[in-house]
Amino acid sequence: MTVIARRLAGHLARGLVMILVVATISFFIVNNIPGDPMAARYEKLVEGGMSPEAAAQAVKVLYGFQPTGTLWQQYTDYMGGLLHLDLGVSVSRPGTPVLDVLGEAAKWTVLPVLVGTLLSFLVGVILGVFAAIKRTSKLGDALAISGSLLHGIPQYVLAMLLVVIFATLIPILPADGPVDILFEPGFNAGYIGSLAEHAVLPVVTYALSAYGGWVLAMKSSVVTVLGDDFILAAELRGMKRSIVFRYIARNAILPLFTILALSLGLLLGGAVFIEKIFNYPGLGLMLINGVNDRDYALMSGAFLLITAAVIVANIVADLFYSTIDPRVRSGEEAA
Amino acid sequence: MKRLAAAAALLGLAATVTACSGGSPTKSGSGGGGGLFTTIDVNRPGLDASAPANPYNPKGNSFPAFNSMKLGWVKNHLTDPNQALPGIAASWEVAPDNSAITLKLQPNAKWSDGQPVTAEDVKMSIGIAYTQGSTAFSVTPGAAGVASDVTVVDDKTLKITQEMANPSPKFVRGVLDTTVLPSHVWKDVLPANFWDTLKAARGDDAAAEKARADITALGQKVLTFAPPKDVSAGPFVLERVNPGEALLVKNKNFYNAANVAPAQVKFLNYTGNEQIWNYLTAGKLDQSGFIAAPTDVMNRIKQAPGNEVIKGYSPVAVSMAFNQSKKPYDNVHVRRGLAYLINRDEVTKVASPEGGTPAVTTSGIHQKAAQAWIPDTLPKLDPYKPDPAKAEAEFKQAGLTKKDGKWALADGTPWKVSMHAPSGFSDWLSAQENIKSQLVKNGIDAEVVTTTDYPLYLEELAAGKYDVGFWLMALGPAPYDIFQRLYGASNGWTNVAGKVTHAAPGKNGNWMGGPEEIEVDGAKINPGELTGKLNTATAEQAKPIMAQLATAANQDLPVIQLWDYVNNQFVNNTRFTGWPHDDEILRLGTGVLPAGVWIQLGMVKAKQ
Repeated sequence: MTVIARRLAGHLARGLVMILVVATISFFIVNNIPGDPMAARYEKLVEGGMSPEAAAQAVKVLYGFQPTGTLWQQYTDYMGGLLHLDLGVSVSRPGTPVLDVLGEAAKWTVLPVLVGTLLSFLVGVILGVFAAIKRTSKLGDALAISGSLLHGIPQYVLAMLLVVIFATLIPILPADGPVDILFEPGFNAGYIGSLAEHAVLPVVTYALSAYGGWVLAMKSSVVTVLGDDFILAAELRGMKRSIVFRYIARNAILPLFTILALSLGLLLGGAVFIEKIFNYPGLGLMLINGVNDRDYALMSGAFLLITAAVIVANIVADLFYSTIDPRVRSGEEAA
Repeated sequence: MKRLAAAAALLGLAATVTACSGGSPTKSGSGGGGGLFTTIDVNRPGLDASAPANPYNPKGNSFPAFNSMKLGWVKNHLTDPNQALPGIAASWEVAPDNSAITLKLQPNAKWSDGQPVTAEDVKMSIGIAYTQGSTAFSVTPGAAGVASDVTVVDDKTLKITQEMANPSPKFVRGVLDTTVLPSHVWKDVLPANFWDTLKAARGDDAAAEKARADITALGQKVLTFAPPKDVSAGPFVLERVNPGEALLVKNKNFYNAANVAPAQVKFLNYTGNEQIWNYLTAGKLDQSGFIAAPTDVMNRIKQAPGNEVIKGYSPVAVSMAFNQSKKPYDNVHVRRGLAYLINRDEVTKVASPEGGTPAVTTSGIHQKAAQAWIPDTLPKLDPYKPDPAKAEAEFKQAGLTKKDGKWALADGTPWKVSMHAPSGFSDWLSAQENIKSQLVKNGIDAEVVTTTDYPLYLEELAAGKYDVGFWLMALGPAPYDIFQRLYGASNGWTNVAGKVTHAAPGKNGNWMGGPEEIEVDGAKINPGELTGKLNTATAEQAKPIMAQLATAANQDLPVIQLWDYVNNQFVNNTRFTGWPHDDEILRLGTGVLPAGVWIQLGMVKAKQ
C-alpha cells in the first residue's frame, strides 16, 4: 500500500467515526431544542379562523409524521437509517425525504458560495502579495486597511449595505430570490441572465466578506517568505523582478491552500445570514426554516451534511497539501 | 499579472451579466390582457418549489381563491358566522332548524383541464376533509356541528345533513369552508370503502376507535399526495414555482373568466417582514395582507406611488394575560389595580398605531362585535380608565404595601411584573416596554423578557413558567370561538362532546390558573360551562350568555384587553383598481387570500 493510500484509509476511518459522533451529538441536541411546534401550528390555525377542534385534528395529522417511541428508540432508528443514507422524512414538508430537501437546497448554496469563495481567494491572494511587497507605500497601506475593514464587517451588515445601495438607492440589481419566475426555465439567455443577475449580490457579499481574510493572510505569508534566504539569493543573482515575484507567491500561497480547502468545506454551512437577507433558497435558509418549524429530522440532516463536508474538506486538504508541497511529501517518504 | 487579469475578467463578466439580464421576460401561459398581478401570502413564508399543488400540504403550492376553490368564501360578519360569498357553490338553502344545507353548484364550473365540476367532486372533497380535521367534517366523537350525511341529489346539487345530537350554529360555515378537489385526480387517495369506514368511526367501541385511527392515517396520505399537475377550478392555475416566486396563469375554463382582470399572478416569497416592507415600499405588490411595521416604515409604505391602506374589521384582540397560579396575580384586586394603571391608548399608539384600536374595556369580545352582540351590557362594564387613585385602592385591598414609593407584596417581598413575549413580535414587545414604563412610573417594578421564538413561548406559557404573557383573544365571529380563548383549555376547561370538565391550575394546559367558579355581581358562575353552551346555542340564546361572560371577564379580569386588531390590507392603484372597502370581506375564512376572492368576483379591474 502506498503512503497516500495508507493516509487516505486512515483519514476515511477517522472521518467516519467523527461523522457518527457528530450525528449522535446533533441528534440529541436537536431533539432537545425546547419549544412546542404543535402548539404553534394549532395557534396559527385557530388565529386564522379554524375551530379549536378542527385545528387540533389537523395538527394531529400533520405531526403524525414525527417519529414515535422513546428518544433512544428514535436514535437507534435514526442511526440505522443513516447507514442506508436514509435521514428520515421532513415534517415541515410532510413526507418528503430529508435527503431530497437537502439536495434541493444545496444546489442553491454550492454554486454562489463556491464562486464567491474562489473569487475572493483569487483577488485576495493577488492583492495580498502587492500589500506585502508595497507594505511601506500608500498602496500597501490601502490594501491592508481594505482587508481589515472588510474582514471586520459582519456578513449580514455587508449584505444589508449592498441591498440598500444596489437594490434601493441605485436599484440595478434584484435583492431577493434566485430567478425571475416570468422567464421560462431552460437554457435560454433570459433565464440564465436572470439567474446570474439574482446571484450577483449574494456572490459579491461572500466574496467581499472573505476577501479581507485572504489579503491579510497572504500579506503575512509573503512578508515571512520575503525574509527567506532563497529570495535574497535570487535577488543577489539579479533575477528578473517578475521571476522573484513568482517565487515569493508560490511559496507564500502554500499555507493558504489549506485554509481554502477548509473554507470550501464550510461552504455548505457558511451562508445562513446571506441567504436569509437575500431570500436565497439554499441550505442556510432551509436550516433557519427548519429550526422555526422544529423540523428535527431536517435539522439533524443539515448539521450532518455540513459536518461531513468539513471532514471531507479536511481530508482533501491534507492529501492536497502533501501533493503540492514537496517538503511534506519527502518528509513522509523518509519516515 | 495573468491572474490579476483573470480576476478582473471575472468581475467584468459579473458586471456584464448584470447589464445584460434586464431584458423582457418570456411570457408564458395564456394571456388575458389584464397584465401581471403581484401579491404575497403573508401567512405562509417560504415558497417550496418542490411542494405539490395540494391545499392540505402546509407548503403546498395551492393558493386559496386563486388556484384552489372552496364551496363558499365565509365572511367575518360581526354576529353571523354563516354569511359567505359564493364559491363553487353558487347558492345554498339552509333548513329552518339548521339541520341541513342544500348546495347548488355553479352551473358552468369546470376544472382547468376541461372536465366539469360535479357534486361527486364535492362529495369526495368532503371525504378528504374528514381525514384532515374540519369543523363540519370531523370524526371526533360528539364534536358539535358535524355532518351526519352527504347526499348527492344530482350532478350539481348536494344535501348535507347535520348531526342534531350536538348541533352547532356555525354548521353552515363549516360546510361552506370546504376546499373542492377534482375527483378524477384525487380518486385513488380515498379507498373505495372510505364511507363505510367513516360510518364505523362514529361509534364508541374499539372498532370505531380503529376506524378513526385509519382515517387519521389516511390524512397523512392526503397531505403527501402530489397531483401530476395542477388542476384548478379557480380563476388561475399554477404554471410553475421556483423557490423565490410562484407563477399562476388565468384559467380559461373558470366560470367567471370573463370578469377576471389579471392574465397572470405572481406570488413572491419572503423570509421576514422586512422583505415585505421592501416590496411594499418599492410599490411591487398589487395587494398584500397586513403585516406589522414600525411607524417610519409604515409612512414610507404609504408614500409609495399608488399605495393605499384599506382598513376593516378583524375579529382578534390582544391581551395581557395573568397566570393566576402565581402571586399576587391570584388576587383580582391586583389585576384590577393594574388595569386602572395601564393607559391602553398610549400602549396602542406605541405598539400598533395602524393595526389596532385601544380596547374600550375588557369584555372578551372585539369592541365592534361587542356593540352588536351586547349593546346593553357594554356601557355598564367598567372601562378601567387610567386612575392611579383607584389602582392604589385596589392594591391596598389586595394587601400590597407601598414603601419608599415602591409597591411590595403583602409579606414585604419586592414585586416585579415580569412580562414575556416571543422575539420577532415587535408590536407585543413595544407594548410591553410601554407598559413597563407606565408601571415603573407608578412605583411598580417591571421587566420585559423576550423568548426565542413562538413555539418556545407557547410551550413555556402552557407550562406556567410566566407570570404575565400576551395572548390573542376574541377570535370571532362565532360566540364559542370568541370566549373559549378566555374560558377554554388555557384556563382549564375542556369541552369534549359537549361535556365540559375543568383541570386544576397547572394541569392539562391550564396556565391561566383561574378558579372553576367565579363571582359575578354577587353570584357564582362557571364561565367554562357557559362558554361550552355557546357551542350549540342559537344567536338569540347566545346573547344573554355572552353578556354574562363579558361581565365576568370585566369583573374578574383573567386578562386585560389592550387593543382590538384592525384589518389592514395594502393595495396599489397603479395597475389595478376596484378594491373593496367592505369590512366583512377584507378578511375571510381560514387561510383564504382575499385578493383572489375579489378578483374572481370581478371586483378588481385592470387600470385603463
